[in-house]
Amino acid sequence: MIRKKFSKKEIALGIFTAIFIIFILTFYIWHQMESVQMGYETGKQEEKVSALREDVKKLETKKASLLALERIEKIAKEELKLAPAKEYQIIYDDFNPTP
Amino acid sequence: MAFFIILWMAGLSLRLIKIQVIDHIQLKATVLQQNHNIGTILPKRGTIYDRGGQILARSLPAPSIFFSPFENESLQNQLNKIIKLKEVLNLSPKEIQRIKARIEKKDRFIWIKRKVTPQQAKKIKSLRLPGIFLKEENKRFYPQGKLAAHVLGGVGIDEDGQSGIEWKYNTKLRGKEGKHLILLDAKKREYRFETIKEPEAGKDLILTIDETIQYIAEKELEIAVLKHKASWGTVIIAQPDTGEIMAMANYPSYNPNNYPPSPLELDRNKAIHYNFEPGSTFKIVTASAALESKRVSLDDTFDCGQGVIYFAGRTISDHHKFSLLSFPEIIRYSSNVGAIRIGQNVGERFFYQTIKNFGFGDKTGIDLPAEEIGIFRALNNWSKISLASLSIGQEISVTAIQLLQSISLIANKGLLTNPKIVKKILISPYEARERPAHYRRVLSKTTAEIMIKMLESVVQEGTGKKAQIKGYKIAGKTGTAQKFDSSIGAYSSTRHTASFVGFVPVDKPVFSMVVVIDEPKGKYYGGDVASPLFCKIAQRLLLYLRIPPQKDSPKPLITAKLWSRNQR
Repeated sequence: MIRKKFSKKEIALGIFTAIFIIFILTFYIWHQMESVQMGYETGKQEEKVSALREDVKKLETKKASLLALERIEKIAKEELKLAPAKEYQIIYDDFNPTP
Repeated sequence: MAFFIILWMAGLSLRLIKIQVIDHIQLKATVLQQNHNIGTILPKRGTIYDRGGQILARSLPAPSIFFSPFENESLQNQLNKIIKLKEVLNLSPKEIQRIKARIEKKDRFIWIKRKVTPQQAKKIKSLRLPGIFLKEENKRFYPQGKLAAHVLGGVGIDEDGQSGIEWKYNTKLRGKEGKHLILLDAKKREYRFETIKEPEAGKDLILTIDETIQYIAEKELEIAVLKHKASWGTVIIAQPDTGEIMAMANYPSYNPNNYPPSPLELDRNKAIHYNFEPGSTFKIVTASAALESKRVSLDDTFDCGQGVIYFAGRTISDHHKFSLLSFPEIIRYSSNVGAIRIGQNVGERFFYQTIKNFGFGDKTGIDLPAEEIGIFRALNNWSKISLASLSIGQEISVTAIQLLQSISLIANKGLLTNPKIVKKILISPYEARERPAHYRRVLSKTTAEIMIKMLESVVQEGTGKKAQIKGYKIAGKTGTAQKFDSSIGAYSSTRHTASFVGFVPVDKPVFSMVVVIDEPKGKYYGGDVASPLFCKIAQRLLLYLRIPPQKDSPKPLITAKLWSRNQR
């Protein structure tokens, strides 16, 4: 049996091809992993956005509740001791009586 | 040795073939059953806003607690868990009994408490009780409390509309459920969700209601009903040209956050659901029919028989002994005898048609549930006394919304428009659907203008003086109706309905209003009970809407203004 002899050039080419394939595979795997990581990250951020939107809605509702007119009137009368304006206290800025 | 190894490998291969190939389908189905679950994604119920964008109703996440006992878990163990939850969730003995009964029945899914507060949910989580889970649901909140309760209505525990706008527009508000695939691990822990079908969120609604006007109406109505020790009261305020309802108030009322109310009757929207005899407010129709038929002119005078008339064997009396009155004076001073004389001139057929044209005996078409049509008999069912009775607003039952429609029609120069509560349905953040207004001419413009003048004199010089507001021209009509007492088979002398319908300002009406107070004690005339309430509400509304007085200049004022150096 005669063993084939490889020239230096062929060995170098083979090593280079092997390194190239390994590099491509490594890059591909890395890319896939990064994509999956980004997917997880995007999912997390989307959940955060969704949760923040819910928080905004909760705060808007709380604001509406705090600004409820019954509550405002109670505070105005009991805490701030305000009273409804009398007729003579109302001044019309752009009064224009019809003849 | 080699033989045994080969034998072992052959056995292993056969086993693998059996699992992977022969039993593949059956085993896969078992796995899917164990680690897949189809869950429902609840849609978000639409938000309800007032015309200014204030939130009136909104759904927010509210977790619910459920118990899913493990197989072979002892009864005592399960009950112990529930006892631990008792303090945190404030479970009543009745609730504990219910849960206990479900445990004894070996149910695999038991609601402990629906829609708890975030604080309670946090405490439950911290207890880490096996078998106790939280499920995200939505709960309806009404941040304004009792405001516009009868308009909004309420929802049940599953967020289904039960009354009011919540019921009427339930399909639009509810949205559509979605579905997701839940993947479970060997310990039945959820680790992944995949949406199979996206939920469709409910549509938001913008109402015609104005939060501030609604509040003013409710507040003043409550004061009036309590002051006169009445059974109930209702106020409706609308824009006469568009039919948009700016306020619909009832007293007594309820808080939709605690729905259903107790007693249940509080749920009924008296503004559209209760019938009553309108009394003298109905003379608007009598007078309109007279003018439209051209059978009565403004110069005609009528003998009011010193306050008594005999009609078809019945005696009908006036609140005052009037003698000779002109047509406008009959309306101004609300003479029953005079109104009957006018009705006689109009005739049954024309009068009946006018009443129908005004919309009585039919639904107004307002977009709220349970609207009553009132009671108005067909012409062929009229008795000999019907013409007289109807001329003074008896023998007919109307709703407050029908009365409002009639005064709005006068304010709108003879054009009838349907009342509406929902201004817009938001299809998407960029698209809204608005319900168009429909108009129908009921009276000629000339008739309407004469009616406006007559109704203005009711407030200036007649029975509606207590509705006057300095500096403003107001048109309106009072009404005082005796209630029919079925126990004695006659009209009661102690039970009345007081009402007032009107609009302001006369020249360019910004709002029309109906006020009804049922069974006031002590004073009961519309002029004494309902007119002052109209006046109070209208005064506040005119200020809020920034409508300056039309006449009577204010006292002259010297004003000073502070100038900054830059302004000079």
